[in-house]
Amino acid sequence: MGLEFRRRDYRAEELALSLQRGRADTHPLSASSSSSSHLQVEECESGKDDFCDPLRVSDGSTEMSSSDVNREDACTEATAPSQLKTMKGWISYKKMLMQRFPVSKTSPMSVASGVHVKGTKAIEKSAKDLHSGELDDDKIFDDKDVKGISQQEHLSKLHALKDEINQYWCAGDRVTSLRLSIKAVRSLMDSSAIQIYPTLFVLATDIMDMLGDLVWNRIKEKAEITEENFKADDICFDAKETCNNWFSKVGSIRELLPRIYLELALLPCWRFLHDHPENILKRLVEMTRGIADPLASAYCRLYLAQCSLRLSQHDTGFLIACINDLKLVLARLTPARETVNGNLYGNIELLLTLVEPAIEYVIKCLFKDLKKMEISKMLLALGLSSNLSILSKNHSCISVVLHHILKELPVEYICSNAVELLHLIEIIDDRSFDQSLNFNLLGHRLCELVSQVSNVHLLVDKFIQVLSCHANLHAYLMLADAYLDIILENHLGMLLNVILDGILERVRDERIGENELVILQSVFLKILTHFGDIEKILALNHFADFLDMMHGSARNSINMHILNMATRNGQIQDPIIIEVLLEVAQALYNGLDFSNMRKDEYQHPSRLISRFVYMVDHGMEVESHLRFLAQCRGAFSGINELQENLVHSSNNLAVKAMRNGNSSMSFVKSCLAFNEVTIPAIPANLRQLNLYIETAEVALLGGFVSHLDGLLNAAVNCLQMIDPVNVMQMAEDGDEAISLICKLCGMSVMVPGGVEPEVAYIPKRLLSFLNSQSWILPRMKAKILSAIVFLSAALSQNQLPYHAVSGKVICNYQLFVGFPSAHQELLSLSHIALQGIVNCVMQESSKERGKLALESCNCVASSFMASDETLEACSKLVEIAKSCYSADDKFLQSTLKFLDASQFHLLCNSGPVG
Amino acid sequence: MSVEIKLSRFNRIYRPGELLEGKIITTLNSSISYQSIRLTLNGAVNLQVRGGLAGVIESLYGVIKPIPIMKKVVDVRSSGKIGSGTTEIPFSVILKDPKEKNLGKFYETFHGGNISIQYLATVDIARGYLHKPLSATIEFIVESDKDNLPPKPIPPDMVIFYITQDTQRHTLISELKSGGFRITGRICTQCSLSDPINGELTVEASVVPIRSIDIHLLRVESILIGERIATESSVIQETQIADGDVCRGMTLPIYIILPRLLTCPTILAGPFSIEFKLSIVITFESDLYKKPSKADPVSSKPWMATESMPLELVRTA
Repeated sequence: MGLEFRRRDYRAEELALSLQRGRADTHPLSASSSSSSHLQVEECESGKDDFCDPLRVSDGSTEMSSSDVNREDACTEATAPSQLKTMKGWISYKKMLMQRFPVSKTSPMSVASGVHVKGTKAIEKSAKDLHSGELDDDKIFDDKDVKGISQQEHLSKLHALKDEINQYWCAGDRVTSLRLSIKAVRSLMDSSAIQIYPTLFVLATDIMDMLGDLVWNRIKEKAEITEENFKADDICFDAKETCNNWFSKVGSIRELLPRIYLELALLPCWRFLHDHPENILKRLVEMTRGIADPLASAYCRLYLAQCSLRLSQHDTGFLIACINDLKLVLARLTPARETVNGNLYGNIELLLTLVEPAIEYVIKCLFKDLKKMEISKMLLALGLSSNLSILSKNHSCISVVLHHILKELPVEYICSNAVELLHLIEIIDDRSFDQSLNFNLLGHRLCELVSQVSNVHLLVDKFIQVLSCHANLHAYLMLADAYLDIILENHLGMLLNVILDGILERVRDERIGENELVILQSVFLKILTHFGDIEKILALNHFADFLDMMHGSARNSINMHILNMATRNGQIQDPIIIEVLLEVAQALYNGLDFSNMRKDEYQHPSRLISRFVYMVDHGMEVESHLRFLAQCRGAFSGINELQENLVHSSNNLAVKAMRNGNSSMSFVKSCLAFNEVTIPAIPANLRQLNLYIETAEVALLGGFVSHLDGLLNAAVNCLQMIDPVNVMQMAEDGDEAISLICKLCGMSVMVPGGVEPEVAYIPKRLLSFLNSQSWILPRMKAKILSAIVFLSAALSQNQLPYHAVSGKVICNYQLFVGFPSAHQELLSLSHIALQGIVNCVMQESSKERGKLALESCNCVASSFMASDETLEACSKLVEIAKSCYSADDKFLQSTLKFLDASQFHLLCNSGPVG
Repeated sequence: MSVEIKLSRFNRIYRPGELLEGKIITTLNSSISYQSIRLTLNGAVNLQVRGGLAGVIESLYGVIKPIPIMKKVVDVRSSGKIGSGTTEIPFSVILKDPKEKNLGKFYETFHGGNISIQYLATVDIARGYLHKPLSATIEFIVESDKDNLPPKPIPPDMVIFYITQDTQRHTLISELKSGGFRITGRICTQCSLSDPINGELTVEASVVPIRSIDIHLLRVESILIGERIATESSVIQETQIADGDVCRGMTLPIYIILPRLLTCPTILAGPFSIEFKLSIVITFESDLYKKPSKADPVSSKPWMATESMPLELVRTA
């Protein structure tokens, strides 16, 4: 009995085998509340020391300093764990300070203060001297010569000094430790090397902190105190005496600055003597007034603010006094604008940048635990009042101080006092800080809580007044940007137009630089996000002018935002919008440089453009839509994804046209022709294959047999072109290729075969393809061969499983009814395929072998009548499956059942094996 | 083989009415026998006049005969033996026994340039003729008895001062003379030894930039030699309160902790006196400053302005 196809009634089989279908309650892709919760990405915690601005990190010469601060961490943690929490912010602040003002390695400086230790005479000083209240013989150490040594050397000397101080202390020579500490802090008296002053400060205060801890621990040990909350009365006489000795030693230092620093270092020790050492801070603040040098005094106040944090409680009065004093010092530096000449002013500017971090820190300390009620009172105490009479009575406030206060003020306070603050900034205009930056800061702070800004109209009116005074484009843009949210939030469209007009006016006079471009981009983005609708944006004044103003990456970014926004809300139908967006997309495309950009850089814009093209919808105007597609094909030839989408869209159009029935066949033909031109330009073979099959389906639907043949031919040709190397590397590509081939086979059922080419033309070419390509794995081969068997079996049926909807294509069963040659041809093809299947399954070695065997077995049993040949094949396959699966495997069981039902009585089943 | 004295108080401060307590500590290689262990307490005012201040004859002698305050000899142990190793022998002596008659008034310990008031405790271990006696000396510090002292706080006795170009008796550089300056403030002139000297100072005006403002603490030692009084004042502590050209109109605090051993209550005794003074020294910026000058008295420096005032130091309870 030869090979014979089984007669099948596909419809009855489908009815019998298909599962009961029911309507689902929810869409499988709709987000349900339960599943979405664990999909949320957890916000990852940013680094601990966020105080340090990464942008301020300079590339050179900071390694030394930061590593030292790290070492510092370990050291202080070991000595005084109780003060850790206040120390942490201080350590990161110091790190920031060093990074912000790095030390260059080469520039020489003169050191008159003489940090270097000359001899070891000091060791001779015995502990007996601890009682004497005087440190008379500083001369031992003083090295009066002015030496030209590099800054780096100077700093490393200071480093060595720290270790030395520690060593002397450990050796019991505390007097020398103190002397060396004084020596170290004396280096802060010389602010001539202005650039390294912050670094000097950090190093010197490291030493101070260390000494402070050492003394604290020593007295504490003497006092035999263990808990932290002790009272001065608990301290024994000897400990108090030691403490007094330290203070009188420090008091005997002649120079003011070292005396203040050392007293600050020992500040916590006052607790051994008084229960309320806070009052001492007031005196120290006043003493600091004696330091005339603005830089030295600012940093001294910085250290004072830091040390005050170590006391458990204190009021903020002394800090306010501190800031007010600092303002006086700065006021001397920044006289009226006219009187200062350029060179001098340059120095002052440098000085101000160096002083600024100190001001920042002191103000931060001031606001640390401030209660809301106290803010107004405190601002008044600082001389900050928008009431002019009070302001003039008080000394003027320095704008740099105001800037940092604005930074620290709680946002609620800012929002409820916005008008007053704006007014305040307007009055305070001195050289110490750029006024527009203060306006800017206020704007940004207000935007933090834009919904709570009070007196919006008054505020905005005032703001527009201020804004109009700025002729400079950069300042104008910056301010506009800062306050834009307030204007947008309150729907003040008219003012928005005023601002936009203002920008345009200034752009005419000035060239747009890179900085301005960045702000302009930010302005644009705010407007875009606010309106969120392309139509409203287009309705804005000067939209196109603004777009034209921009170039480079800012332009790209804006273009992307526009496209993203436009494609977010469904299809785009308005022809004007389409035109504008096409221009935008083209500009974006022109900005892309495919050869020089990394893939992730151009991927996002490419996707946006593709999505835009995909979202365009001309409705019934299918012809103009096709023209649009053709236009896009030309315009965005570099984006492959877009080219693919064009084919999809064109197919959509064709199907749409056919459905509506009102358009002529020629339109569908032009769609097909469009695709036939477009597909070859796409570089990936598999994508081509897919698109060819898709287009072929459309052709089949429309009954364009000649196109269909051409397309299928091209598809099979595509197969031959597949680059084996690519497929070998990417397993998914191989699988995709196989499933596409199976799809091709499935579709071939409907393709009418003529004499030329004959019925089995496609399966035959597939077979030869299988034999010619070595990269195809056995399991893939088996699948394709199965598909060929199914195809052949289907073609030989009287009733095809499915056929084209339109009646235009004549089906094969109608063509070849009773035509034996075709039947024979199919049988012989199947014969080869059957052999191939068995061979392939036997060659397959992976764990999928058993599954493959059973699948193939099902294929054979459902396609052929039982015969010697098919029985033999099935037996082999079942044997293989049994070797892979246990006997009670469900797939194996059901397959065996199916074989039984199909009258495939296998030899091994009926009798014992062997 | 050594002997030392260890006092009960680590700061070694005792008042005349108190017991001086402590231990005699011997560290010996082998045991020794002794005839006596004797503790001698000695207190005296030592005076000396250096050349220039005194006349020719006195300068030849240099040292003037000291004024004894106390001398007390106590036998801690009569003859016996001390074993090897470390041995501690406690002692306790009252400094000023009301029953005894003392040689002089118990002035407080003071170490000055020409006058020094010193109290010493010496231990002698006599071991007969054949052996060298062992001995050790330690200074102890005497402060006044609390009973007779004025209570704290003493009434603030502030003086207001002002310093201008017109208050200066020495010649000033011409810029100072023409430009003028005015520095005002107040400072206390009576002060407890345990408290800091308080005050304040304001630079109201100065055309010439200020270089530094210092407060000098001076001691004035006077010694009666025959009919004449030799007086010498010397700076014992300098405290800077302004470094550089400070803001005008800002009040700077004056806060000076008195150095312990270099000060004592103001003494006006017959043969000698110890007094203190404060000088406010303002140094102005000047090119002359850099030129080396041979003569050093403050008055000869034309870029400086000074104002001095007496300071009475008091021991308070």
